[in-house]
Amino acid sequence: MQRRMALRLLGGGVAALAARRPLWAAAAAATGPAAEHDYFVFIHAAGGWDVTLWADPRNERKGLVEPASTDNTDVAGLARWKGVALDGDTDTFAPLAASDSKLVLGPGIGALYDLRDRLTVINGLAMNTVSHPDGTMFSATGRHLAGGRAPASSIDVAIANELGADQLLPAVAIQFPSAFVGEHLDRRVIPLRVSSAATVAKSLSRSTAYLDTADRAAITAVLTDEASALAGRSVFPETYERIASQQRAQPRLIGGELEKAFTQKALQDAYPSFDYKSRSQSAGALSAAFALEAIRRNVVRSVGFALGGLDTHNQNYKQHARTLQELFGVIANLIAVLDATPHPTRTGRKLADHTHILVFSEFCRTPQINLSGGRDHYPNNSALVISPRFRGGLAFGKTDPEQLLPADAKTFADGPRPIAPPDLLATFLSAFGVPPAPYLRDGEVVPELLR
Amino acid sequence: MRRAQPSASRAPQVALVSRPPPSRAANLRAVLAGAAWLCAACGPARVIAPSPPSPLPPHHEQAIDTTPKQRPRMMPPEVYLRAYMMWFGGLAPLDVQARARGKQLFDAWDDYLAALGLPDYRLDLPRQTQTNSLMLAVFGRLGEALCVRAVEHDLHSPKTPLDQRVVFAFDPVAAPTAAQFAERFDVLHRGFLGYPARLAPADRTARYHALFDDVAHRHKGKNPLTPDETGWAAVCTALIQHPETGLY
Repeated sequence: MQRRMALRLLGGGVAALAARRPLWAAAAAATGPAAEHDYFVFIHAAGGWDVTLWADPRNERKGLVEPASTDNTDVAGLARWKGVALDGDTDTFAPLAASDSKLVLGPGIGALYDLRDRLTVINGLAMNTVSHPDGTMFSATGRHLAGGRAPASSIDVAIANELGADQLLPAVAIQFPSAFVGEHLDRRVIPLRVSSAATVAKSLSRSTAYLDTADRAAITAVLTDEASALAGRSVFPETYERIASQQRAQPRLIGGELEKAFTQKALQDAYPSFDYKSRSQSAGALSAAFALEAIRRNVVRSVGFALGGLDTHNQNYKQHARTLQELFGVIANLIAVLDATPHPTRTGRKLADHTHILVFSEFCRTPQINLSGGRDHYPNNSALVISPRFRGGLAFGKTDPEQLLPADAKTFADGPRPIAPPDLLATFLSAFGVPPAPYLRDGEVVPELLR
Repeated sequence: MRRAQPSASRAPQVALVSRPPPSRAANLRAVLAGAAWLCAACGPARVIAPSPPSPLPPHHEQAIDTTPKQRPRMMPPEVYLRAYMMWFGGLAPLDVQARARGKQLFDAWDDYLAALGLPDYRLDLPRQTQTNSLMLAVFGRLGEALCVRAVEHDLHSPKTPLDQRVVFAFDPVAAPTAAQFAERFDVLHRGFLGYPARLAPADRTARYHALFDDVAHRHKGKNPLTPDETGWAAVCTALIQHPETGLY
């Protein structure tokens, strides 16, 4: 009897240990392409973009669709707008199609059109929401909000948890909808959420009038020792261990070097090719410069930031195409710098070979123009991936011609249906050998998107 | 058995005859008929062509448990902020900002709302539910600023009476011995952590004494504060960020 009891206890203990196996340990066992030298940039195009102006171009009146035209859009300054007659003296745009690409894009794509062979466009994403917060979280986490809160971790946190917990700043979120939800995630990847890139430098700034760097290092050492000692005495040591790990990062954070590198002026000086006086994306340009500097210094794994100004319900829709052009201009410049920057840890490689960009919005805008001259929220969407692991020059998914609503993209395991954000996120994770199931309740990998 | 109701207006009356009970033969016939009907109903079963079971929809088990747990959690940032305001004299947030500013010790709350984990309604940023290393860095900056100001108020200015001191309610001694340090450290420990230092793990006082000595030794003759005052500022900074203050 005692032997049976002992075996039960042993079995229970082994099962408990297996159940408590942290996910970051499981990451090492994940099969797939190694991505420990890779970096990730997640961009939220905030406000809801008009996909008919770039990813899913429409230039005919059909069904509900009222295309962008000189009646509703200011075309001045649109580099890729080539007018064709719509009716009377009204012009619409000619879709951008090159002989060397299957992609057909709209004029809002701007400078990114030159990189069309590297773009993976996903159209007809079924959003099932027209709410800004809900659509944002659905795009970032693959789950709709539950009680106003994110019920799952966002894609940047999942990536950082699997591939970047050892980095000094595993996940930085500059107005990006990061969510850290769930047990057994490494607390070092709790996203550092800030309102602007300049806040990072301010947070790391320290006065030199009283205490100095050596004093702060001594203080941090005391706090780390105290947390470690408390972890050794605690029934639930995890929290103290995480505090110790976060304290351990402080000397590198507040040592002065990063503070100087991340000031607004330093970033602007280091990356002068961004348009910091852009009408709509000046803050976003600074965020992109921060991402580049943090990646170049190998202190981050994923950086998320927002590029905004797309919520155009009224006459401000006239500027929507221009805003898109500026938004994609930031991304095009980001890629250009990545192309020209050597990888910090892999000799002879460019950063662009190991940096992966996912761009999404919360939904798209209505195909019809409303009475105020703008477009409202619509439960369809598109997304953009620029990654060496994804097939470039590809548009996957579709919408119906008259309603601009998501149409069946392929036959998934549960039957024919449109692609949805969980599918895209699952595909993104799987591209780097990260099993999607622990992070995503829904979603199916779409191998057609991958190289 | 029903009986006819008498009626004065209807004649002649017809008497109803009660029905005789069914005979045993009739009962037997009824039972046999029922049995025959049942036998007919229990004929050979209709053959249904077998078909493979339809596949179940795919099912994933989410390995990350998102259910709330009764376990120690990180404190929301408001708790830190309220504690800081209370410890340093019941300050209002703007008082904290005013007191901590100067000599680049701190600047404005607005710069740090999201970094501190607070919601920023101007940008529609939600609150953070977990601390992170950047948040610790910001609280570290704020804590250092408040501790330095408290040292200036309580210790550096000789005219502040003991009962008007905010944090350092003790008489400082130059280069305190272990016993002298422990007595004064206990005042801070009670104030910030809420219980006597002698109830803490045994090596805590010694660890903070070593910090005091280390900082004081490094700052001999090069600071707006005296070396001991700088040492107390460091002890204060290390105590208000103590891991025990981060749990509830």
